[in-house]
Amino acid sequence: MFDLPILLQIGWTAVATSAYYVLFAIAFALTLKVAQVWNFVQAGVMGLAFYAMYVAMIRWQLPHVAGIAIGLVVAVAVSAAVEAWGFRVLRQRNSSSLMLFIFAIVLAEFISYLLTLVFGTEPETLTKSIASDVHLVGGVAITNWDLRALAITLTMSLALFAYLRFTRNGQFLYAVADNGPLAELYGISANRAYLLAMVISAVFVTAGVYLYGTRASMIPTQPLELMLFAVIATILGGIGSIHGAALAAVFLSILQSASILVIPSAWQGSLTYFVLFIVILFFPTGFRVPAWLRRAARGR
Amino acid sequence: MEYVYSVLILIGIYTILASSFNLIIGFGGLISVAHPIFFALGAYASGLANLHFGVPIPLAILLGTLFAVLMSVTLSLPSLRVSGDYLLIASIGFQLGFVEVIKNIEFAGGAGGLSNIASMYAGPYRSLAFVVTILTIAVLVVALVHWLTHGDYGRAIQAMRDDEQCFTSLGRNPMAIKITIFAFGSGLAGLAGALYAHYFQYLTPEQFGIVQSSLILTMVVVGGMGTTVGPVVGAVLLTALPQAITFLNLPSSVMAPLQGMLYTSLVLVFLFTRPAGLFGKPVRQ
Repeated sequence: MFDLPILLQIGWTAVATSAYYVLFAIAFALTLKVAQVWNFVQAGVMGLAFYAMYVAMIRWQLPHVAGIAIGLVVAVAVSAAVEAWGFRVLRQRNSSSLMLFIFAIVLAEFISYLLTLVFGTEPETLTKSIASDVHLVGGVAITNWDLRALAITLTMSLALFAYLRFTRNGQFLYAVADNGPLAELYGISANRAYLLAMVISAVFVTAGVYLYGTRASMIPTQPLELMLFAVIATILGGIGSIHGAALAAVFLSILQSASILVIPSAWQGSLTYFVLFIVILFFPTGFRVPAWLRRAARGR
Repeated sequence: MEYVYSVLILIGIYTILASSFNLIIGFGGLISVAHPIFFALGAYASGLANLHFGVPIPLAILLGTLFAVLMSVTLSLPSLRVSGDYLLIASIGFQLGFVEVIKNIEFAGGAGGLSNIASMYAGPYRSLAFVVTILTIAVLVVALVHWLTHGDYGRAIQAMRDDEQCFTSLGRNPMAIKITIFAFGSGLAGLAGALYAHYFQYLTPEQFGIVQSSLILTMVVVGGMGTTVGPVVGAVLLTALPQAITFLNLPSSVMAPLQGMLYTSLVLVFLFTRPAGLFGKPVRQ
């Protein structure tokens, strides 16, 4: 049970599967960092993007590129609308964080009910078959999906890093995240930054949900569970740290996959919630490397 | 007539749930959505105590209520250390995780549900007796919540909610108040659950999921958070309103999401048009 090939296989599958979790976590962490909202509407956006792609790819038989484009348009439009006519209005009224939260979670649920009404509760995928070609490397099965997922995730993560670091708009996002009122004094529009963060998140959500839908089946209530994974990763990675959230998503994915060795499969579904609970109670500001370890790493 | 009785019983049960949830979220400012879990704990504890251990029903209801109180204290001791958004997210995790756990406990019926729970009353006047009992308890609960939140202790609760730091600087202990109202509210939810179990005689984990959270939250938001009458009106409206849809005789695959859309759209409408709810003061959001 604990022999090396099996452990390697579990490790590889976990890393590959973490691809869409990483994208979801980045999307969630970015909105939280810039706009300071726990954007649970992301679950609704995930559902809408998935079913838009499903209609395009499966029902209309359009090529994947066209399907992704349609999903992207839907996700971006909904996210922008939610920011402009939802969060912005509530912010202007100085609504409490409870009101913002209720709006986000209730809207996500509304979308979930709407999708259930339209598409039912039958699991759906974005491809007729979720099987993918397999290559054996040192006894470890690597599928084409794994390689595609990792390539997409790495490319998008690096592109976001470069965008935030080296472009003017990216730096504006950091400025608003650090101190919105001060950024506005320097002529940076906070509203524009919030909108941009929501749009970028929508792009990541679409990519993530595309990867998910080509690997597993989706039902309208699934996005909320996938979202919770992103929430845990964001908290665990340290709120405000986008790369921390991404790394935490990989860690959680490995933890979840490895748990199959010690936890009965019936209880695996509870593991995510257990981790969420523990993380919030004991690591509400995320994992931080202890100071003595940081000093040791710097050789001091 | 039986149908009218069952709607009245549901109104009574939701009045208890909404009023007790309002105590926690509206008066106490503790942002948790895990209220249905205590509803479930009361229901399952009472049902199991009677079913497997032969505990008499009134005692089983008391046990269910106390079990919900005990569990809420156990949960609140660590989780009320965090507040605001974190508490909210912890409660979502607890809510979803708990439903997963119940699904895997064979002793509690697992995912298939717990059936054959004994009824509290029998005979031709069973439902009428339930109506009288549950509505009486609901009225008592509303009166109790009103009394608790409008005396000296109520002012302390609201002071803690509005400015915890200032409240602490006056030498008061906010944690004690938080734990007390959380336990009290959760105990009332447990009582509602126990009554529910012995009327409907069947429980499934799905009944206590996130949908139930949004329903109770809707009742409080629509009625008016932090008011005594608001959640009662919310409970009556939102229990009676979906009954109108049931007369359309739609299939359950359409009915359930339609009811969900009705609840959620009501909350959204109220959030933007009347955030204080029907009975709340407009100045406070």
